[in-house]
Amino acid sequence: MSERATDPGTGDADRELTMSRAMVDAVAAEMRADDEVFYVGEDVQDYGGIFDSTEGLLDEFDRDRVMDVPISETAYVGAAVGAAQAGMRPIAEIMFADFVGVCLDQVYNQMAKNTYMSGGAVNVPMVLTTAVGGEYNDAAQHSQTLYGLFSHLPGMKVVVPSTAYDAKGLMHAAVRDDDPVVYMFHKRLMGIGWMPAPEGPKTPVPDEEYAIPLGEADVKREGEDVTVVTLGLHVHRAMQAAEQLADGGVDTEVIDLRSLVPFDTETVLESVEKTGKLVVVDEDYQSFGVTGEVVARVAERAPDSLEAVERVALPDVPIPFSRPLEKEVNPQVDDIVAAVESVE
Amino acid sequence: MTVDVDSEAYWPADADDVDEAVVANWFVREGGRVDAGDTLCEIQIEKVSVDVDAPESGTLAERVVPESGEFRRGDVLGRIESA
Repeated sequence: MSERATDPGTGDADRELTMSRAMVDAVAAEMRADDEVFYVGEDVQDYGGIFDSTEGLLDEFDRDRVMDVPISETAYVGAAVGAAQAGMRPIAEIMFADFVGVCLDQVYNQMAKNTYMSGGAVNVPMVLTTAVGGEYNDAAQHSQTLYGLFSHLPGMKVVVPSTAYDAKGLMHAAVRDDDPVVYMFHKRLMGIGWMPAPEGPKTPVPDEEYAIPLGEADVKREGEDVTVVTLGLHVHRAMQAAEQLADGGVDTEVIDLRSLVPFDTETVLESVEKTGKLVVVDEDYQSFGVTGEVVARVAERAPDSLEAVERVALPDVPIPFSRPLEKEVNPQVDDIVAAVESVE
Repeated sequence: MTVDVDSEAYWPADADDVDEAVVANWFVREGGRVDAGDTLCEIQIEKVSVDVDAPESGTLAERVVPESGEFRRGDVLGRIESA
């Protein structure tokens, strides 16, 4: 167990990492610094996580700190909640966000509420990692993003990195946070060989530790004409759409939310007050979700600034297995371009 | 001096019956500096990922096989201009 989990190289700007390696970089650093930090989940040990979220950890840490568990999310998420209340800092992984249903009581009644229910006698400093996203033909039970479901329930913070740089900084912040944090990583951004990532998520990642404060959105591209608010995979699609729109003379601002709870209302408001037009892009279902929440926050606070609004999200249907049908329901670059043009 | 990054040197022993692979990820841009032992790229042989470490310190002069590019065992993956 002497080899380091990740090879950080020289740590200068010439080094780029995939999002999965950046995540592991942060997890390994936290485990090295604090014996109370451990990782638990299905296939996280020898397999390294089916989306590489723990790849390499076993090279450096023992099997009692990188723990494979039987297929009972209720049991191991519950164990993580208990360990957190007893003073440890567990990171528990639900292999697919879609599976949260089988352990929802542990997540939303125990993890999210135990600080409150105990009158502050205990707190739950754990991280719940989970893979989200589709468009690789894994059908309706393995392709959801469910940002809205996790963010709707009070008591949990929720982060969604879109780049390797953010993945590392948000992981450091999540592990150090004294409240439960849900860390939702998009499969297509991880940089796995069999699921190629778009241009963008692989970024230079400094060797040294840094935390990105939860609740700070990132303006990825400044623009004067239309505000596009999005997160996860669709940050990269929105950036591509903005490039295309620029050729037609439309200047698009792109905001990566990075964190849903807490939510950076200020950054979104400032942008819409400048542009007057808001397009919200989300891979989650349209109804009762992220798109509606973003629009409502702006409409409540700056109704006079809001000239036009458009939502681009998954229609309220189960995600199809069929390749062309799945592509049809998942917002593409062209859909974002069309939505921006319709409000412009 | 230019040093070739030879894919043969990284071929896993249990993949002797396989002759082709793909570059899944490059971690260093062309022109970027590397130290010997830094992870240069990740290759995938069937479903097995292998990290390719820089054989020399220097500058990555060329990615001979691009990301997602296929290559055969023994092909040169990239070239390092050693310092």
